[in-house]
Amino acid sequence: MNAANSSQWLQPAFNNPVLDAQASFRTALKALSEPGLLQPMDRALALGNLQPATYALCLAFLDGDTPLWLAPCFDTPAIRANLSFHCGCPIVAERELALFALLDEAGAADLSAFDNGSERYPDQSCTLLVQLDALSGGEPLRWRGPGIKDVRSVELPLAPVFWQQRQARSAFPRGLDAFFAAGEQVIGLPRSTRVLLNAEEAA
Amino acid sequence: MNRNLLHSDPHIAARQRWMCVLARAGNGLAAYESALKETEYSLIRAPEIGMTLVRGRMGGTGSPFNLGEMSVTRCVVRLTDGRTGYSYVAGRDKQHAELAALADAHLQGVEQPHWLSRLIEPLAAAQQHQQAAKAAETATTQVEFFTLVRGED
Repeated sequence: MNAANSSQWLQPAFNNPVLDAQASFRTALKALSEPGLLQPMDRALALGNLQPATYALCLAFLDGDTPLWLAPCFDTPAIRANLSFHCGCPIVAERELALFALLDEAGAADLSAFDNGSERYPDQSCTLLVQLDALSGGEPLRWRGPGIKDVRSVELPLAPVFWQQRQARSAFPRGLDAFFAAGEQVIGLPRSTRVLLNAEEAA
Repeated sequence: MNRNLLHSDPHIAARQRWMCVLARAGNGLAAYESALKETEYSLIRAPEIGMTLVRGRMGGTGSPFNLGEMSVTRCVVRLTDGRTGYSYVAGRDKQHAELAALADAHLQGVEQPHWLSRLIEPLAAAQQHQQAAKAAETATTQVEFFTLVRGED
């Protein structure tokens, strides 16, 4: 049966499921409350091409109530088997149904159809988990909003199309929250953060 | 175990049978600990204690009702050759869960007859013996009511 075939892919997850999941969740909250600051997320090991921080976010967030959408590069038997086993999350093919989306840099260029919540339930939007090669080295952008004193400069290596799409899907309180993960670090970007794309917006 | 609950596929039915014996083995598995742990293995899911809801049906056919919650310990191990063993046992005995998962993994390999005769058969016999002894003990307390003359005749 299905379980018998997929069990060969299984790997251990958190060493201490309760404490590690709580610590990772707490770090994720901290990342969202201080957008743009690097936070350590090192409680998990890598899984296939999922880096430790990305896998830790998955283990901390996902459970049976959180449908997940996988970008094609993460849609491997090993990742499917381990997320199903350790998180029990349903993996969906339709973006509209997903509460979490696991994206790579290429996947982050297309945010169409992810649920950005409703006026009544903005919390039911899809949260993006974006794995990048690094969390710096891109074009510096200035972030402004709750959790940031004045302006914070963040250099995520993302194509401009991501920022345009994020802007297009944002109609506060509706919008998409995102986490960017690389190696064992994570940066949060809540929907309340304004990313200043050009000079005149700074004024 | 009720034969009607066994799966129609003989492989699955055989595994159901040994998992059933392992789940009831309690600390009977401790005697086999060194043999079970001879080969290297890793814990995919370390033994963890949780709760599960037990449901029942009145008379076996009535509508389902929630009987109550019970504690359950589960564990998943993997041997170095990739075989995975699963266990769900009643209670809070983590060692029991780990040994039962290990036994399940061993029983899926080529040495299955060896483990069946060495581990499962003795445990099953002991459990059957225990059950029979308990049934016999209970039977002595049975009171039979009968009437010599019934009114309608």
